[in-house]
Amino acid sequence: MEPTHNPFQAIDISVPAADHETYTRYCHRGTVARADDSPFPRMIDLWFFAICVAVRHGLKPQEVTGKTTKIIDGSIFVGDPWRIHTLLLIAIAETNDVSIVSEPTKIMNLANRLAAAGLPRVVDMLNEGSAEAIWNLSDSTRLLLQQSDEALS
Amino acid sequence: MKLLRVRFENFRLLRDLELDFRTTQQKRLVVIRAANESGKTTILHGLRWALYGAAALPGLSKAFRLHPIDWDGPSPVPIAVTIDFEVTRHRTSQGRRIDTHKRYQLVRTATEDVGTLQRAPSTVKLFEVTSSGSKGVPYPEAIIKEELPPELREVFFTDGDRALSFIEADVALSTKRQRVEKAIRSLLGLGILESAVGHVKKARAAANREAKNINPTGDLGQVATQLEQLVASREDLEEKLEDAKSQFVAFDESLTEVGRKISLALAEGDKDELRRELTQVKDTIASLKADGRKAKTGHSTLFRSQAVATGLLTTRISGAYQLLEQLRDRGKIPNTTIPVLEDRLATGTCICGETLDTSVPAGAARHENITKLIEKSRHADEIQSIITELYYKAVVPSDDDARRGKEWLARYANVAGNRDRIDTGRQEAGKRLRALEARLDALPDTDIQGLRETQRQHKAQRDRFLERRAVIETKLEGVQDDCERFERKRKRLLRTEEKGARVRAQLAVTQDVAQVLETAERRIKTEELRKVSELMNTLFLEMIGADSHEATDEPTQQQRSIIRRAEINETFDILVYGPGQKQLNPDQDLNGASRRALTLAFILALTKVSEVEAPNVIDTPLGMTSGFVKRSMLRTVATVSSQLILFLTHDEIAGCEDILDEIASTVVTLTNPAHYPRMLVHPPNVTVRKILRCGCDHRNSCRTCSRRRDPEDLEGANLNEEGV
Repeated sequence: MEPTHNPFQAIDISVPAADHETYTRYCHRGTVARADDSPFPRMIDLWFFAICVAVRHGLKPQEVTGKTTKIIDGSIFVGDPWRIHTLLLIAIAETNDVSIVSEPTKIMNLANRLAAAGLPRVVDMLNEGSAEAIWNLSDSTRLLLQQSDEALS
Repeated sequence: MKLLRVRFENFRLLRDLELDFRTTQQKRLVVIRAANESGKTTILHGLRWALYGAAALPGLSKAFRLHPIDWDGPSPVPIAVTIDFEVTRHRTSQGRRIDTHKRYQLVRTATEDVGTLQRAPSTVKLFEVTSSGSKGVPYPEAIIKEELPPELREVFFTDGDRALSFIEADVALSTKRQRVEKAIRSLLGLGILESAVGHVKKARAAANREAKNINPTGDLGQVATQLEQLVASREDLEEKLEDAKSQFVAFDESLTEVGRKISLALAEGDKDELRRELTQVKDTIASLKADGRKAKTGHSTLFRSQAVATGLLTTRISGAYQLLEQLRDRGKIPNTTIPVLEDRLATGTCICGETLDTSVPAGAARHENITKLIEKSRHADEIQSIITELYYKAVVPSDDDARRGKEWLARYANVAGNRDRIDTGRQEAGKRLRALEARLDALPDTDIQGLRETQRQHKAQRDRFLERRAVIETKLEGVQDDCERFERKRKRLLRTEEKGARVRAQLAVTQDVAQVLETAERRIKTEELRKVSELMNTLFLEMIGADSHEATDEPTQQQRSIIRRAEINETFDILVYGPGQKQLNPDQDLNGASRRALTLAFILALTKVSEVEAPNVIDTPLGMTSGFVKRSMLRTVATVSSQLILFLTHDEIAGCEDILDEIASTVVTLTNPAHYPRMLVHPPNVTVRKILRCGCDHRNSCRTCSRRRDPEDLEGANLNEEGV
């Protein structure tokens, strides 16, 4: 099978500068010992999880006005090609326009804003509970998955 | 030995007779004057019987009647002879001879049946007589044998006729020689000596044979050396064994002590075991930590997984899927056929099932159409391309479980459970760790491991000494066996050696003794025999009044002049030589007096040289002698003998009265009353036949002993006072 085409190959993934600390805080980045308090392996993972939470909650993409910080570029998706497809599908769903697939920058922009919108919810999920962040997050995720779309709306 | 007194009771004619034999140093002669058939020979027999028993009786001793022939008393007849004698012992003290005298009384009794002459064995008893009384002496025969050797009784108690047996002609030369030899041997101890020589020679021969059979070798030294080495080895091994035993015991005790310490320490807890457990717990914890890290990683991975994205997004992006479906439905995603078509071409079968085989016209037509369609699709726009890829590659969950994020929830449950398990394990391990640490902290600082090491070392040492002990014991057993074997060998050799030494010693002793005895025998045979011979010659010549020198021309002394010398040669022949060393035949060339003198001289010389102090009791020694020879014989005999008891007839005494006056200490007269009236002047005053003793000496006579000189006297003889 032919490799997945990565339209985000050269596109930066950025987060609001204000959120960068949060990204640093909850990403252990190889230091597994910190995983309970910083459940996400990499910033891209938190970034993508935040997008998913935002979409799940039906949040509107947040307008990013301030300074942003690049956490990585789109080449990171080579290892997880399903994320490329997911981002495309999210963009299609958000815009209800299939043609958006030919505009990866817009898609990335949408993704960044969704991530910014979802990040606070993720932080809440991380902190909801008396356990470590990972367990809070896990429990929150479980609850989130078990909640019906209607309940979330 | 000296005879002092003798008493006869019922001994033939001697029914009741007592004789006193006491003499003085100066007068050593006792004379019993008795006519023929007056008991002289009976006294001789009685003395012999008393001293030597039945064996000394003449002829067949059992047939020799002891009791009086006219016994009319109760049977059996009690017979007894009692002899008093004195033994003198000499000893020298401070240069002086001291004599010790002991008196004895010998009593021999017997009973004899008158009819059968059966005689019970006689009984002899010996008493030592002292001033305080008498006491029995055991083994009287021993005293008699010592003082009056039985084999010499013919010498001590003889008679003139019997003495002639040494030279009488009616027997063979060998018999005479044997008699002389026997007498000499007996009196000089030659028999004993020769017997001893023979015995010693036998012993020497036996020793020689034993010596030949003994094979002394040098093995004993070698065996002794080997045994010495073995004993040394055994002692060394025993020492080592003791050492091994003590070492074994020491290490065993130490082992016990160490074991006790270990037990005590272990009772409180094995520090090492606890440490091992601690390590295991730590390892478990480390493992759980690793598992925890993995679980944590997995847990963390949950939030970057496609599953969480799918669960969270499925419902929200389902519109996008629907759009894609619509596009597909509208054929806007033609590209989708390219891979399918290419796949169909590759398989050779169309989707509809028709063949795409180019060899057949229909298949070739279909194959061409599909190829054209693929070419057309390759020119679609970029959007179509992306959408097409998205449509075919994006994983779209189609069921409710996926929509509800069940995959993630399951993975999460697994991760959570795993992490819970790990956390629980870590907590328990942590608790265990803390408990172990607490126990370890509480344990005394006992070095159990050190003790175990000590125990191990001591056990090894103990086992080594046990092994050494077994080895030593085995060796010792072997050495002990060798020792015992060599000891037996040595003992055997020693016995042989000892036997050899003993036999050699015996041989040496027997050789020495034999040499001594042979020398003594030679000396006796030569010197002592020569002494006897010389003394006999001296006495003989003195008795017959011969001159050993040749010069004598008196015709009256013709006989004496004929005899020059008498001797006993080495073959025990009594030889008499005349002038010119001419040998005379004693039986033929000597008259009766000379023969009697010769035999008496021989007996006296023998007694004298033997230095045996014993009486000479001689019955009628002067028979067939007269005149000078008789007197000379009497003097000589009395001079030589230590105690001389002569039984003399009246005729023998006749012509010698003056000599008897001079040398006789006691003279008594015996009379047989049966001689009345033919030979006795007066009738006896007894009614039974028995020898009567009276105190008449050689010059006197009494009513009892007065005898008729001539049978003619009987014609005019007066009857006794009783008119008988």
